[in-house]
Amino acid sequence: MFSLALKNILFYKGRSITTFILTFISTVFLVLYVSMTDGSHDSMLKNSLKIYGGAIEIYHKDYRDIGGNEYLIQDVKSIESKLSKIDGIKLFSSRYETYGLLSFKDNSTASMVVGINPTKEIELSQLKSALQSGEYLKESSQNCIYLGSGVASKLKVKLGDEVSFIGGASDNSFSADIFVACGIFKTGLFEFDSSATFISRVYFDELMLSKNKASYITIKVEDLDEVDEVNNEIIKVLDSENLESLTWKTLMKTMVEAMEVDSIFGYISLSLFLIVIFFVIMIYGFINVSSRIKEFGVLRCIGLSKRAVFSLLLYEIFILSSLAIILATPIAGYICYYYSINPIVIEGIAQMYQDYGLVSDELPFSFDIFTIFWNICLIFILNLLSVVYPFFYINSFKPIEASRHV
Amino acid sequence: MYSLIIKMAWKNSFLRLPRTLLLITMIAVSMSMMIGLQGLYDGMANNMLDKNKRSASGDVSIFAKDYRVQKDIKYRIKNAHAIREELQNIDGVKAVVLRVQVDGLVATARKSSFATICGIDLKSEDKFGRFSKFLKSGEMKFDKRGAVIGLELAKTLKVKVGSKVIFSAQDISGEINSIALRIRGVVQTTNILLDSNAIFVDISRVHKFLGTSSNDVTQIAIMSDNKNLAELLKLKYSSLDVKNFFELQPMMQMMQEIMFIFNSVTFIIVMGVVFIGILGVMYVSILDRIREFGIVLSIGMHYKYIRLQIFLEALFVSFFGYISGAVLGGILLIYLRDYGLDLSAFSDALEMWGYEAVIYGTIKISYFTSTFIAIISASLLSVLIPLRKIKKLNPIEVIKAEK
Repeated sequence: MFSLALKNILFYKGRSITTFILTFISTVFLVLYVSMTDGSHDSMLKNSLKIYGGAIEIYHKDYRDIGGNEYLIQDVKSIESKLSKIDGIKLFSSRYETYGLLSFKDNSTASMVVGINPTKEIELSQLKSALQSGEYLKESSQNCIYLGSGVASKLKVKLGDEVSFIGGASDNSFSADIFVACGIFKTGLFEFDSSATFISRVYFDELMLSKNKASYITIKVEDLDEVDEVNNEIIKVLDSENLESLTWKTLMKTMVEAMEVDSIFGYISLSLFLIVIFFVIMIYGFINVSSRIKEFGVLRCIGLSKRAVFSLLLYEIFILSSLAIILATPIAGYICYYYSINPIVIEGIAQMYQDYGLVSDELPFSFDIFTIFWNICLIFILNLLSVVYPFFYINSFKPIEASRHV
Repeated sequence: MYSLIIKMAWKNSFLRLPRTLLLITMIAVSMSMMIGLQGLYDGMANNMLDKNKRSASGDVSIFAKDYRVQKDIKYRIKNAHAIREELQNIDGVKAVVLRVQVDGLVATARKSSFATICGIDLKSEDKFGRFSKFLKSGEMKFDKRGAVIGLELAKTLKVKVGSKVIFSAQDISGEINSIALRIRGVVQTTNILLDSNAIFVDISRVHKFLGTSSNDVTQIAIMSDNKNLAELLKLKYSSLDVKNFFELQPMMQMMQEIMFIFNSVTFIIVMGVVFIGILGVMYVSILDRIREFGIVLSIGMHYKYIRLQIFLEALFVSFFGYISGAVLGGILLIYLRDYGLDLSAFSDALEMWGYEAVIYGTIKISYFTSTFIAIISASLLSVLIPLRKIKKLNPIEVIKAEK
């Protein structure tokens, strides 16, 4: 049956070439499209995580929903000693976040002021590498403030200028101080750069009465793919009803959802192409089969079963699809691999989409064997399905009737 | 003669009924899906554009020079009422609103966030852009220190209707001033900046809070159908910063251009594949009847009549495909326009991007006319190759040849 199918493929060249080309195009198109979508989504997530987010963050319950000083983590040291014993955690650090008003001369702006451990943050976030001018914080930086470029521009502050701060301390008392602008950073996250400022925790804890307290503890894991396992370990050791440990999947739920929506629209568009191509392949298969009704009639008359006829059609499409996919896969795979290492750069795209959290002009592809495999399988299944209608059409003829068909 | 050719073309179009039906189905499904997608994507873009105009910039906005860069109350328009009077007398101007905006810090007992207080006049805003239609919950009232808050900001602050917030900002003299406000309503304008930052308060209260006079505003927004208005106002108010909608919202223009390119590329690819489908069917349909064509040519029928018959066959099939696709697509578009695509499961993400959870489609006549032209063109082009074959035909050889 296989050799008969092969002979038919070579004989009916028009149908074979059309099916081959359409299968080839749809395979390459699908693999590249999915790779580009997944790659750009991964990149957006990773960039956001890399800049300031944590793979896992520990909060006092209700801090995220209600907020306020009564929901600060109270005994940071004991939690940190528990975390240091867990495998899979690369680094962790506590942060104390508060909102206040910063003023310089006639200009004021609201800002998120964060007390951080400068040394640990070098590895946990991109705060240091985002340095634009001046210097990054040190543990001993005292009243040095590290300003987002947007904040500095709103306040019209230059390095060395004194910035006054008014806010609320961790015991709800009034707190105020004068900071010195030591450094300005720009991460590319528009909202973050326009609102965030940082102070060394050693100094900030004195001002905010927040020693051994934290808004949350941020954790970097050794392997991001094992974040759930590490998180389960953390939950076990925390052993506290008042704390919750959340992975980036929960913390960045909105962003993850946004990616899903983007994918949904992408797949809706893609399905249009695939359906049209499926129809054309089916039409060519159908035309081919309807011109061979007599041949199938004769085959049935000499004893070929319906099943064997179906196998013949299946073999034909299987061979054609396999050839197209075998050629398309390495080409599409190589393109995905190449652009996963050397991302496409679209100058200015990050600037244009800054409100949407895009921080890089690079659009990397994703190179994932499993994804490529399911893409190929989808095309394969669609092609195999395209012979179902032609098969039923053939079977609507009785063998004798078919053998006399003109 | 022509009526006979039309009859023959009609009968031959449906000679191989399953094949013809398959082709009609392919045209109908691809066309309906394509115009459904176009309607959905255009609907998304138009909805965003319309709401951005209504809630913020209008067709043209006027600011004091440097305000948009500095975002400082120092850079304000100081003779707003006089300018409004002048604007209202210009042809094509439908509505003019005055707004005062200032950035500051909003705080509840537990949460704080950056915010922009927007002083507006509700009556004028309703006339300008049906502002009350943006209300998601609560009521649109500013009395008794009432304020209306953007949906995303309400989420950030965890406030509901009835919650109290304190807004602090620098007033006109540079002093930090605070105002207590009661949330009366939550709005979703689908303008990301407003939804995530804005607290709308009566303009007179904001004037009092900032120490500005009622003649001082930071923005004058104009709704107009005069396309040259921006250029006209740029000349008239050269000391002010006059911007049209797309200058203020380059993202929107970019989005429209991307949608246009995407829809055009989709259109070309789909029509290209549809063309291949029609070509296959027409080619085989002619090859099936090559002997028949040889006979009619040999008994003296002119080639031009055969050509006409084949063109008509292609037109009949594609026309039926088009009609089926137009009906299916029309139903799909009406459904999307009236009920929309419900993506409530992803509402947080959509709201973050400035979209509503239910996305409504739009219907344009151009979807049907452009598809009609494309399908008819594809069907006519698809018979050119088979026709060449017939033209080169040697009738005697074809008749002699075994079927």
